[in-house]
Amino acid sequence: MNADDATRFPALLGAVASLVRAPDVEARIAADSKAFFIEGGLGAGDAASLATQGERRLLVYRKLVRRGLTAAIRLEIPRTAARLGPAFEAWVERFVDEEAPRSHYLRDVAFELVAWAAPRWATDPEVPDYLGDLARHELTAFDVGSADDDRGPTGIELELDTTARFHASVRLARHDHAVHRLLADEAARDVPAREPTALLAYRDADHEVRYLELTPLAAAILDRLLLGETLRSAVVGAASARGEALGPEVLAGTARLLDDLAQRGALLGGAS
Amino acid sequence: MSSIDGVGLGLRFAFLDDVVDAIAAGTRLPGVAFFEVSPENHMRRGGHVPAAVERVAEHYRFLTHGLTLSIGGLDPFDRAYMAELRRFVERSKSPFHSDHLCFSGAGGRMLHDLLPLPLTQASAIHVAARIREAQDLLGVPVAIENITRYFVPGERSMDEADYVAEVLDRSSAKLLLDVNNVWVNAVNDGFDALEFLRRLPLDRVVQLHVAGHDRSEEHGLVIDTHGADMIDPVLDLCAWVIERTGPLPVVLERDHRIPPLPELLIELGRVEAAYARGLAAHARFARGDA
Repeated sequence: MNADDATRFPALLGAVASLVRAPDVEARIAADSKAFFIEGGLGAGDAASLATQGERRLLVYRKLVRRGLTAAIRLEIPRTAARLGPAFEAWVERFVDEEAPRSHYLRDVAFELVAWAAPRWATDPEVPDYLGDLARHELTAFDVGSADDDRGPTGIELELDTTARFHASVRLARHDHAVHRLLADEAARDVPAREPTALLAYRDADHEVRYLELTPLAAAILDRLLLGETLRSAVVGAASARGEALGPEVLAGTARLLDDLAQRGALLGGAS
Repeated sequence: MSSIDGVGLGLRFAFLDDVVDAIAAGTRLPGVAFFEVSPENHMRRGGHVPAAVERVAEHYRFLTHGLTLSIGGLDPFDRAYMAELRRFVERSKSPFHSDHLCFSGAGGRMLHDLLPLPLTQASAIHVAARIREAQDLLGVPVAIENITRYFVPGERSMDEADYVAEVLDRSSAKLLLDVNNVWVNAVNDGFDALEFLRRLPLDRVVQLHVAGHDRSEEHGLVIDTHGADMIDPVLDLCAWVIERTGPLPVVLERDHRIPPLPELLIELGRVEAAYARGLAAHARFARGDA
C-alpha cells in the first residue's frame, strides 16, 4: 500500500465498523452522514460516496449485527433474557456499543456479554439481584454441555498423596442465590432464596448436563482438588479453612462423595 | 481441486440429529452427495454435537466453510484460532477451506457478520496477501466467497467483478461462487447478474452456493437471509455456471426458518434439477452441439 492507501484503507474499514458500533449513529447519520464520515477520518470523496448510499443502506449492518448477536445470546441465556424483558435488547445494544465481542466463536458471545454486564446488573436497582447468578447458571449448562470430551477412568487409584483427575466437563459453580431451584419455564418469575450455593456440574455419558448441590465442606474439598492439590492437602486444608474437625465423619463423607463422583463419571481417578 | 461434486447441504444443528437418525436407520438421504460444515460451530467443542458430526462424517464427505476468518480485516490472524481451524479442516479431509471476501471486525472486536470491503486496488492487494498468509497457516487451498453487500465503502476504483478477479489474480485463491449473492446484489444495485457472471474467471470456481433471500421493507433492499426457499432465477444462474464449468460441488444454505428435513430435501431436489440441467448443457457444450 502507498502512504495514502495505508491510512485510507483502515479508515474505510473503521467507518464500516463505526456504523455498526458507534453510539447514536442513527441520529448522526440522519443529521449529516457526510459529516459523520469526515469526523471518522475519511477523506471528502469517500465520505461523499458513502453519504450518497442513503441512510437505510448505511444502517443495514448495524441492525443485522445487533439482531444476530441478540438472537445468539438469547439462545444461551433464555431465562435471563426473559426476566430482563424488554431491557434485554437494550443491554445487548449497550454491550455492542461499549465492549463488543472478541471471540471468533458466536457461542462465546453470551459469555462475553454476561462477563461485561453482570457487574453492572449488580449495581442496577432495575435488575433483580439474582440475575447475574441465573445468567452464569445458564452459561454453566452450555459450557458443560459443550466442554471437551475426555477419556474414561485413569485406572489410577486416588490416594491421599495423589491428585485427582476430573472429567473435562466438570465445573464447580458458586452463586449467592439458589438459582438452580428456579422454575425452568421461561415465563416463570419466581425469586430464588438468597443463600450461598455450590454446584458441581458435569456431563454424563449420554451428554446430559447434571448438577450436584454440595455442602460447604464438600465444595471446599472439590475446589482444592480441582486446583490440583493432593487429596490429603485438599481435605486437611478445606476442613481447616472451614474450622471443622477432621474426624471420621468427614473422612467417610469425603470417601462417599468421591465414590459417587467416580460412579457418575465425573471423577476419572488419580492423575498420573 | 475438489474430488467432491454434485449437490450437498449445509449441515445445521436444526437437523443434525435427523441426519444421525437416518444413518442409524441405514438410510442415505436422497440427493445429498456431501455436507458442508462451518468449523466455528464445531471447533473447540465436545459433547453431543461433535459426536453427531463425527457420525455423519463416517458416511458423508465434508467441505469446510468458515464464518469468521475476516480475510479482509486488519487485525492479525489469531494463531490459536487458525491452528484449531487447521486441525478441523484436516480432520474433515476437506480439499479446500472457504470463507468470505469480507471483513468481520476491527480493533480486536469480532462482529460476526460479513462486512463489505472497499473496491480498490489497495484493498485487493491487502486481501490477496492475507489469503496467502491464511493458506500458509491452514495448509490447504483457500476459496473465497463473493458476498452480498448492501453498500460499498468509499469511492470505488473498480467494480465488484473486477475486484474479485483482481483478488484471485493476486493470490492463488479459488472462488466459491454464491449465485444467490450475485442475484441479490444485482437486484439491489440494478445490474445484470448474468453479465456479472460472464466477467468472472469461471475457471477459478471450485464450489457454488445457492440459497433463498427475503425482501425487507424496513431496509428497502433484498436481504440475504438464507431463510426462504430459492427462487427460480437463482437456480437458473446455478445451471448457467455449471453449463460452463462442468461438475462442481453445489451447496444449499439454509440458516433461518429451516423447514423439517424432508421438506428441505425436496428443496434440495430443485437444486439437483438445476444442476442436472447445467450438466446436460455442459455436455452439449463440450460436444460442440450448442
